[in-house]
Amino acid sequence: MFLALKEMKHEKFRYSLIISMVVLIGYLIYVLTSLSIGLARQNTTAIESWNTQTVALNKDSNINLDQSVLMKGDINSLDKKNDAVIGETPVVAKTTGQSKQSARYIGLSDDQYIYKTLDVTSGKKSLAKGDVIVDEAFKTNGYKLGDTLKLNSSNQKFKIVGFTKDAKIDIAPIIYGDISHWNTLKNYNSNIVGSAVISKSNSINISDKHLKNYKVGTVINKLPGYSAQNTTFELMIGFLMVISVIVIAVFLYILTMQKLKNYAVMRAQGIPANVLVKATIAQSFIIVAAGLLISAVLATATALVLPAAVPIFFDVPVLAAVSAALIALSLLAALIPVRSILKVDPVTVIGG
Amino acid sequence: MQAIKLENISKSFGKDSSFIQVLSDINMSTEKGELSLILGPSGAGKSTFLTIAGGLQTPSEGQVYIDDQQIDHMSSKQRDQLRLNNIGFILQSYNLVPYLTVKEQFTLVDKVRKSGNLDKNELADLFQQLGIEKLVNKYPSELSGGQNQRVAIARALYTDSAIVLADEPTAALDSERVLEVGKLFRDLAHSREKSIVIVTHDVRLIEFADNVYHIMDGKITKDEQND
Repeated sequence: MFLALKEMKHEKFRYSLIISMVVLIGYLIYVLTSLSIGLARQNTTAIESWNTQTVALNKDSNINLDQSVLMKGDINSLDKKNDAVIGETPVVAKTTGQSKQSARYIGLSDDQYIYKTLDVTSGKKSLAKGDVIVDEAFKTNGYKLGDTLKLNSSNQKFKIVGFTKDAKIDIAPIIYGDISHWNTLKNYNSNIVGSAVISKSNSINISDKHLKNYKVGTVINKLPGYSAQNTTFELMIGFLMVISVIVIAVFLYILTMQKLKNYAVMRAQGIPANVLVKATIAQSFIIVAAGLLISAVLATATALVLPAAVPIFFDVPVLAAVSAALIALSLLAALIPVRSILKVDPVTVIGG
Repeated sequence: MQAIKLENISKSFGKDSSFIQVLSDINMSTEKGELSLILGPSGAGKSTFLTIAGGLQTPSEGQVYIDDQQIDHMSSKQRDQLRLNNIGFILQSYNLVPYLTVKEQFTLVDKVRKSGNLDKNELADLFQQLGIEKLVNKYPSELSGGQNQRVAIARALYTDSAIVLADEPTAALDSERVLEVGKLFRDLAHSREKSIVIVTHDVRLIEFADNVYHIMDGKITKDEQND
């Protein structure tokens, strides 16, 4: 560490340039990773906020919430602390003076757990008399508490009484309202009671031959476009990381090879090769860790100035894993010139 | 006890038309408390001789002993350790680590050799003898050639090694400094029982030497007049 720090202190400009390169690479990886995670979350934040473990859907729905219907009598007695019936439908919301907003209406019962655990960030919690609680994306788009909404071509008037966060499904913001209005919006009669049963437990008590329990992961992966989108981003970030590590490795290799003459002098003086190897690895660690730290600060600053509509989300465990992988791979790359250090011939500087 | 002993040393490089015989059947030994001078022109094999004696490279034939230990069969790691603990090396050029100040050159030695180095007062005396006491916070690039060489001498002596091998240590020094350095080497050899071997073509050092050898075309001969 002594040699590593002293060299960096003495060669400030050179090492600043190298760290700047790592900063740019790290910034690109952090921002792209956070954007892809943010976008992926917009498919699932609501499902995650309900602590969903299991979803019961109509067998013929192809695991698609939009296509699933539950009939009266399909469901046995529900454990209301863990299970909730929801009615889901895509809607277009309109209010006077604001542009139309595509959304998902989620009908709930106020005696079931999803409603009870719903947090409002402003306003109040109520589903009575056409009251609705909407995702904060509505607020971002100019909607206010007390605004009256018209959904699709229904004559029913809805009133925004509260805002909530992390209420998105399939990228659309959610409008939480009473489940009876879901029937109205879908033009369903009272024999249809909902789209799905959401549960915090590992199974839902269903006996009807029309329904089937699915794990939440299965339901999420079947969301339209979700898997394709995530796979694309994962591949993109994977390639970016591989290319980044190769670029960093080339820089570290050149850096080490430029120092072989100094290492030869030290070997001649009897400085053990392992001291030089440790110094090289320590320096690589400092360069990459410092670069990533600065890029993390820059990425955070960027997120603060981005418009709210940009779905950036810093998933700390994922970003920590990405950083650890980058550092580990860079250190592995730094080991490439170790053979040259071990083989450096002190005689080359003496000319014997 | 013989500090350094070279027996039947030969060193050659290349094959067939590129074959070069640099050293040929060298036999030589030095005792502790002696300053030995190896004189010869450029290309005579002086540096090769020094690097073999110091374990930096191995001979094609023959045996090298340091303090009665045969070193030509040692591993590279063992020879590193031997150099660190038993031999102080003064190189002709590129002597110092460019990104360490004069003071830090010695800190580096402290980090890898925890004990046995000169203490603070002894180092201060050495700095004063070499006239570098005011240069401790300077980088090698801020020093003249002569100052660099004197710092390199101090660093080689810092480990208080019983053997000091020097390659043209006075090449960048003026006459006054040559005399001071020659005297310093002689005093160290005599008062601290060191075996000091200097390869050089600087005849101004002859007056300080206990033994003088001449190396020419890979062969070494002792100057009996100097005994």
